Amino acid sequence: MTTDVTVQLDGVSKSFGDFTAVKELSLTVRAGRVFGLLGPNGAGKTTTIRMIVNITAPDSGTIMLFGGTINPSVQDRIGYLPEERGLYRRMKVVDQLRFFAELKNVRGRDVEAKIDEWLARLKLSEWKNKRSMELSKGMQQKIQFITAVLHDPDLLILDEPFSGLDPINVELLKEVVLDLKRAGKTIIFSTHQMEVAEKICDDICLLNRSQKVFEGSLRKIKSSFGRNSVAVRCVGGNGVLEDPALVSKLVNHADEAQALLAPGADAQVLLKRLIESGAVVEKFEMVEPSLNDIFITKVTEHA
Amino acid sequence: MRKFLAVLKREYIQRVRAKMFIVSTILLPVVMSLFGIVPAVILNIDAGGPMRVAVIDQTGKVYGRLEEALASDESAGEQTEQPRSGPEMAGRAFHLEQVPSVGPDADAERAKLDERLRGKEIDGYLVLPPDFMEHGKAEFFNNNPGDVLSRRILQSALNRAVREQRLIEAKVDSETRQGLFKPAELQSVKIGATGAERDAGGSFVLVFAVGFIMYLAILMYGQVILGAVIEEKETRIAEILFSSIKPFTLMMGKLVGVSLVALTQLAIWGTAFAAFALYGINLLASRGLKAGIPTVPFAHYIYFALFFLLGYFIYATIYALVGSMVTTTQEGGQLAMPIILILVVSFYLFLPVSRSPDSSFSFWVSMIPFSAPVAMLVRIVTQTPPFWQIALSLLIGFSTVLVITWFASRIYRVGMLMYGKRASLPEALRWARQA
Repeated sequence: MTTDVTVQLDGVSKSFGDFTAVKELSLTVRAGRVFGLLGPNGAGKTTTIRMIVNITAPDSGTIMLFGGTINPSVQDRIGYLPEERGLYRRMKVVDQLRFFAELKNVRGRDVEAKIDEWLARLKLSEWKNKRSMELSKGMQQKIQFITAVLHDPDLLILDEPFSGLDPINVELLKEVVLDLKRAGKTIIFSTHQMEVAEKICDDICLLNRSQKVFEGSLRKIKSSFGRNSVAVRCVGGNGVLEDPALVSKLVNHADEAQALLAPGADAQVLLKRLIESGAVVEKFEMVEPSLNDIFITKVTEHA
Repeated sequence: MRKFLAVLKREYIQRVRAKMFIVSTILLPVVMSLFGIVPAVILNIDAGGPMRVAVIDQTGKVYGRLEEALASDESAGEQTEQPRSGPEMAGRAFHLEQVPSVGPDADAERAKLDERLRGKEIDGYLVLPPDFMEHGKAEFFNNNPGDVLSRRILQSALNRAVREQRLIEAKVDSETRQGLFKPAELQSVKIGATGAERDAGGSFVLVFAVGFIMYLAILMYGQVILGAVIEEKETRIAEILFSSIKPFTLMMGKLVGVSLVALTQLAIWGTAFAAFALYGINLLASRGLKAGIPTVPFAHYIYFALFFLLGYFIYATIYALVGSMVTTTQEGGQLAMPIILILVVSFYLFLPVSRSPDSSFSFWVSMIPFSAPVAMLVRIVTQTPPFWQIALSLLIGFSTVLVITWFASRIYRVGMLMYGKRASLPEALRWARQA
């Protein structure tokens, strides 16, 4: 049976000794979507993923993959790039990739072609016959990414895939991820970097302290929050932005500030007060709240 | 199964390709041949032709015998003599020359010979005084007293020559003479179920050899297995692997892969060793010394192979278990020390077992997996126990291998999830339950 739900968790809990890593977690990852599993360090993201890829079993609750329970053949349909990742130092890149493909039951001539294709795509062709210890950290990370996608998985799970990469390579990998999504693959993307998640996720699930805080479409949650944030760049106007009656939270960036309006406050009133105070307003724009803001708000509500 | 083979292949190929492996595999036979062949070759270097010895035989009887004795020594060496120790020494060839002597004193001849010795026409001369047959005292004059080897050969030949002559004078015929010097042989005979069987004790030597090779293989490859298990933890590959393969399959693949590397190396060394041994046996045979491979029933060779594998895998899996509990090779090295201790103790248990192979002590020792391989082989070659005991010992042993591997793979999986933490024994037990 084909299903439009790729991963379904139902009341899943997992603890290690006294420590509860995941508590009563239920979530649904829909097929062909990029699902962001977000949360601060220690929220339970990695444990959740490890249960999905069958590295550990949950203490209670059920996990369904592709409409069935976890079994070895399902494992072969998953590509996993863990946060803790490495390569065999003394092994040639090409041997290494072939080995990881074999572990997913993929072998033969097709594999050779696929390896060449992926190396070319990630601009690593000339490193094909080098040992991985000769590669830079960023290159190794791209090789690790290839090991996760080489067997053409239907579900790709990426745990902090961009950490430590330079912006050019981040763009490169982001493009690849979006291409895979277009090809109909389901992608679970775990990170604590909200800015990155914001750009590529369709759906998100926020985890905090082992529990789910929010789950749903990114679009929906953003619009539900409304445009209650203002990006301001001005000279002068001291004190106005700090007024708790108008602004509940103020974040100063390099050349502008982001002000979250206090409940019931009007942006027009804020603008008027700024001008009255003699400030020179260069920029005043209503913006959507960032995922980060939403996260902080949600976590505060939750607590 | 295919994933198991993938792991096995990777372990095998990566290790066999490694420079260290190639170098050590080639180096050992080379070193072995250096120690085994070079001394023999050097001793065989015949610097300066045959040794020219003049003989003043005042007895008038011994010269002919001496010539015979030297000739037989060169061709084959006599069975009556005890085998020479040390590396194969080719006796230096002698060139004898009889100097007729006139009076009871040989001063005139000696003066002439001294002259020739100085002129390097001869290398030495032997004076056999008239009472040589009674007192057996001869003098050898030469300019190189350091040549112990030649002197020994000459002495031995002289000894045989005079003995022969004495026997002839005692009117002992040649057949009796030969009969007198037939060596005694002690042959131990094993009483088996089918009656008396000949057993040159060779099978016992083979058991010892099997035990020793096992010991060697574990010492060499235990650490390699330890390293192989830790490798993925140190390189942080374990998590990727576990999302594709069961820890038990992974562990088994590693164990068998590394073991095949060990067997490859041992096979190469074994072939080289066999070649040397054959060469040595031929060399001895050409000198009339019999040496051969001990004759052992064919079934015993199968037991040798099975118990060798059992012994190897028992200890190999313990190394894997240690590897699953620690995070670095250094830590593993410390924890592995007790393994060696168990190994040594088990090895020495062969002594009491060989003394009383049928005792209940021997029975239990040959059932406990750690000591079974050597103990059971000792029992098999001494007083073969009933087949069910052999089968039971193998069954217990190989089941233990599987259980330890399974246990190790559980600990390995949980240990991986708790990065950088070395497991204490109670923790390891808890992990094994938890995984």
